[in-house]
Order: sequence, then C-alpha cells, then structure tokens
Amino acid sequence: LIMTLEDDLTTAAATGNAAAVEYLLETGAHVNGLNRFGRTALQVMMMGSLSVAQTLLKHGADPNVRDRSTGATPLHDAVRTGFVDTARLLIEFQADPNLRDNKNLRPIDIAKLGGHEEVFAFLETE
Amino acid sequence: MAQTSSIHYEPVAEIGGGAYGTVYKARNTESGQFVALKSVRVQTDQNGLPISTVREVALLRRLEQFDHPNVVRLMDVCATQRSDQETKVTLVFEHVDQDLKTYLEKAPPAGLSQECIKDMMKQLLCGLVFLHSNCVIHRDLKPENILVTSQGQIKLADFGLARIYSLTLWYRPPEVLLQSSYASPVDVWSTGCIFAEMFRRNRCTNCVPSFPTCLSVIGLPSEEEWPSNVTLSRKTFRPVPPRPITEVVPEIDSQGVQLLLKMLTFDPFERISAVNALEHQYFKDEETATETTK
Ligand SMILES: Nc1ncnc2c1ncn2[C@@H]1O[C@H](COP(=O)(O)OP(=O)(O)O)[C@@H](O)[C@H]1O
Ligand SMILES: [Mg+2]
Repeated sequence: LIMTLEDDLTTAAATGNAAAVEYLLETGAHVNGLNRFGRTALQVMMMGSLSVAQTLLKHGADPNVRDRSTGATPLHDAVRTGFVDTARLLIEFQADPNLRDNKNLRPIDIAKLGGHEEVFAFLETE
Repeated sequence: MAQTSSIHYEPVAEIGGGAYGTVYKARNTESGQFVALKSVRVQTDQNGLPISTVREVALLRRLEQFDHPNVVRLMDVCATQRSDQETKVTLVFEHVDQDLKTYLEKAPPAGLSQECIKDMMKQLLCGLVFLHSNCVIHRDLKPENILVTSQGQIKLADFGLARIYSLTLWYRPPEVLLQSSYASPVDVWSTGCIFAEMFRRNRCTNCVPSFPTCLSVIGLPSEEEWPSNVTLSRKTFRPVPPRPITEVVPEIDSQGVQLLLKMLTFDPFERISAVNALEHQYFKDEETATETTK
C-alpha cells in the first residue's frame, strides 16, 4: 500500500494537525487531491478545528465538494457536528448553503433535525 | 461475539494506527454520521478468538450499558474472519469532531475562564472515576484522547483495549502488572498535567504538558523519592527547585492549587485518587471561586 501526500494531508486534517497540513501543502500536496478513499482534506477534516479549515480554505480548498456516497458537503458535516464557527468560515469562503445532499436535505435541515439551535439561527440569517 | 452488522460504514480517512491495527474516520452511509472504526487483528486457533479478546470486548460492552456521558459511545462490534489464523475485530465508536488539543488552541489569548476550566475538569474526572470504578485504567490520557463535543461535553476515548492490543500482557508476572505504570494513579498524574495545561495562556500549538513541565511545579524529587526500579534515571533531569505554582499556572485559585498539587504528587501511593479529586473542595464552593476571579 503506497501512501500518497494526499493520504498524509487528509490524515493531518482529520486529526486537527494544522501545522502538518500547512507543511504538506507547502511540500506539494494538492489541496483538492483525493486520498485513497476518494475524499479531499476539507471533507474529512476535524470539523471543530478552525485552524485546519482556515489553512485548507486559504490554499483554495473547494468548499462545495460532495461526498461520493451521501452527497453531503463540508458545510452539511460542520452543521451536523454542531460547529458554528466552522460553518461560518465555510460560508465566508463561498460554501453554498442551499446545496442538498442525496436525501434532499440542506445544511439548515440538518441543523434542525440535529437540534443544533445556534447553527440553525446562524443559517437562517444566510 | 460474532455479530453481523447490516449497517454500512465507509472509511474516509486514516486517523491513527500502530502495530495492533488501524483507526479510521468513517461514515455511516445511512445516517450520514461519522464514526471512528478501530480494527484490531487477533490471532485465532481452533477455539476461535482468544479468551482475552472476548473478555475485553465483553468489558467494553458492559461499560457501554451505563451510557456514561463522559466516555465515547461504543456503537457496534464486528468480527470478520480473515484466515484460519486471523480474525479482524472492528469496534465502532461514536466520532467526536474535536479533541481537547484543538479546543485549547481555540481558546482566546486571555485563556479559558475559571468556570470553564472547572467544568472541564469535573467532566474529565467524572469519566475517569467511572473507568476506575470498573477497573479500567486509561494509561494514555492526553489532549488527543480527550474529545470535546461542540456542546462542550467531554468524552474520553482510546481506553480499555490493553488486552486486545498486547496479548503478551498475559505472560507478564503480577509484580510487573501491578507496577505503578499499570495502576490508576498514572491517570491522575496525566489529569493533573492537563489541569495545569488548561490554565496556560497564549499557548503555542504543539506544546503538550510533559513530565519535565510538571516537574517545574513540584521540583525535581530527591534521590530518596526517586523510584529504584525504573529505567529513567534521575540524572536525566536538571535539578530544579519547585517554582511558585502561581508562576507556572497564573490565576489558579487556592483550592485549585491544592488539588493540582495533590494530583501531581510524585509518589503514586500518596497521590489523590480520581474519586477523591472529584470530591475536592475546588468543585464545591462555587461562590468563593467566582469571587476570587472578579
Ligand atoms: N471516537 C473518536 N472520535 C474522534 N476521534 C477519535 C476517536 N477515537 C480516536 N480518535 C482519534 O484518533 C486518534 C488515534 O486513535 P486512538 O483511539 O487514540 O488509537 P491509538 O492511540 O491506539 O492509535 C486519536 O488521537 C484521536 O485523535
Ligand atoms: Mg491514542
């Protein structure tokens, strides 16, 4: 099994290691490259890590990429896990709050279903 | 223990691993929720899974029935036979998308509020008391293994798999197993280091509370106090006198200082237990605590 730079990048993002994310991007990892599971770093990042989200987005990570099985965007997942600051940052970087996943749900629907009031209130203003 | 699970989990990234197996962040494709998949390869013989593995999984399942708010949920266990000699056991845990390291990095430059530190410590100790009262020693408590939900709920992860991970433990003599590194005081020491870490302001990313850092709180123990049966020599460390604790952890109140020193007591037999730490006055008188911060 050969680990690519993108595998390392997604692992660093998923474990909230912003310094490693920065380093890997500087050494040539592609910010929108897929890991061996077919996902980008922004899709698998530790959703509570604002610094990882910021690093990836500043390097041009696509915020509207969809999960290949469920159709969820990173915004759906930030909302599902309840991290309002990450959701806000994604929208600042042009994440589209109106995209629907394969169940036809928008991020705001997920916020409502999950009882994440703060995130729901924020998305209502968007 | 064999269980066929109809739920489909799809790995999306590798998040941990070692000689025993691998940890993945994965998605339950039906609910959309993330999970942590921890798979362990175990050797099997004609009797099936080793008794140690079966016991360990049974213990984790028993713990799960208490539904404790401060330990991570075990949602499912699957066993897949790979060959005559090997079976893959996969534990499915609830995934929490933030650890304490990330949480502390996000703290404002002025640091966490006193109420917040107290609440976090209380939850951490609650989880630890629960594990210890069920004879589970964590052994690897650190900010990466302490998860914090977006609602500020602490959940301990990465515990209780010692016998699955290192089967050779069974061959070790009792005096080794009973040595301090296998007993509950190690977890209290780690919790003390984390307690001190919570008070630090302007933290740099990547600094973790280490043994030498904690030594600056208690000072280098004397030759007499230094255990004789350990490989780490006292000479490895610079002889430091204890620094005034308020210099290492500014803003801590007097009850907090007292509790911290009891957790960072060098002798494991003298160190406070998790249950007594949770009963400590620091968590009791809310009024005096808030008065001192005003
Ligand atoms: N339930 C979980 N939710 C989120 N992240 C987890 C979970 N369990 C483990 N992790 C993350 O994966 C990393 C490795 O997993 P861990 O269980 O600590 O295995 P080990 O340390 O034995 O490799 C941890 O440092 C932690 O950040
Ligand atoms: Mg670990």
